[in-house]
Amino acid sequence: MNRVKLITQVLFILGFALIIGLIVNAVNPKGISIFDDGERYSKNVQEKSIKDLVTNPYDTTNNNKPKTLDKPPNISKEGFVKPQHIKLDLAKLFYDQGALFIDARMKVQYDSGHVKGAINIPYGEFLAKSKEEKIDIMKKYNKEGTIVCYCSGGECEVSIDLAYEIAKIGYNYLNIYRGGYPEWEKAGYPVEK
Amino acid sequence: MKIFENKILILILRLFLGGLFIYASWSKLLNPEDFGRAIRGYDMMPLGFISVLSVFLPFLEFFSGLFLIFGIFKRGSVFIITAMLVMFLIGLTQAYARGLSIDCGCFSVTPTTETQGGSYLLIRIIEDIFMLIAAFLIYNFERKKIKTITSN
Repeated sequence: MNRVKLITQVLFILGFALIIGLIVNAVNPKGISIFDDGERYSKNVQEKSIKDLVTNPYDTTNNNKPKTLDKPPNISKEGFVKPQHIKLDLAKLFYDQGALFIDARMKVQYDSGHVKGAINIPYGEFLAKSKEEKIDIMKKYNKEGTIVCYCSGGECEVSIDLAYEIAKIGYNYLNIYRGGYPEWEKAGYPVEK
Repeated sequence: MKIFENKILILILRLFLGGLFIYASWSKLLNPEDFGRAIRGYDMMPLGFISVLSVFLPFLEFFSGLFLIFGIFKRGSVFIITAMLVMFLIGLTQAYARGLSIDCGCFSVTPTTETQGGSYLLIRIIEDIFMLIAAFLIYNFERKKIKTITSN
């Protein structure tokens, strides 16, 4: 068998797998956007802190509305407001001002300890629901209120995914606190078990 | 090296390797998001590349395994499997060396405590090397067989 034949075979298999993969992804209810830049998962993403509040378009707390929006809120290609990443200090400020905290982990992890007053919406369960069901779950919470999603810190990404899912149904003030429960607990901030 | 020219042995290796690849692709085929998360854990790919990869790679595993078993495009599929194994080996080794506590994403995309980090990665690395040897044997001795048949 010569080299040309081998290359032809390799190219055929690569192309075939790619085409079938794209077709299946398009019809798969759990399919993903292949143009997703994945930026939100970056470890280098800028996390907002209290010092960024002055012109922060997301800041709805304490009637401390920004005097000027130097740039429009970060709208995604799909047309929703992108959640922003926040540091511990800002998470605590939002907490003190009564923001809704959502624990994106599984129930068993939530039960073993969570931010005091946080509600539990496990990401996997939320994702599996239809758009109407998602809206139904969230309807008792203020659309214009500040929401903070967190999970277990470190490599945990469900807080990011959950925040995006909630943002997609029209909630505009989503925050992702990536430090998560371990950092919060370590800081000595309110928890409950 | 005569033993490796044994048709039955090469056939068994083909079925085994092809079967493993189909098995490995199974839980990933319809869960690109979970698989993407596993790839991201290795921290070695540009983020913008991961979505396409998480859609494409499971099907590449599946079809190259399937083709290898059924003997369609044998050399092409074993070539691709070898390339994937080398890529996995690099990924696993760098993750192990850096001490990343990641979910392997090897045979399943549902993380459990057993599939994370350390010794689990080491087992997968050793496994990967054995699969590479099998792929190498298939690649080489399938050709020998064809040659002898054509020369007769």
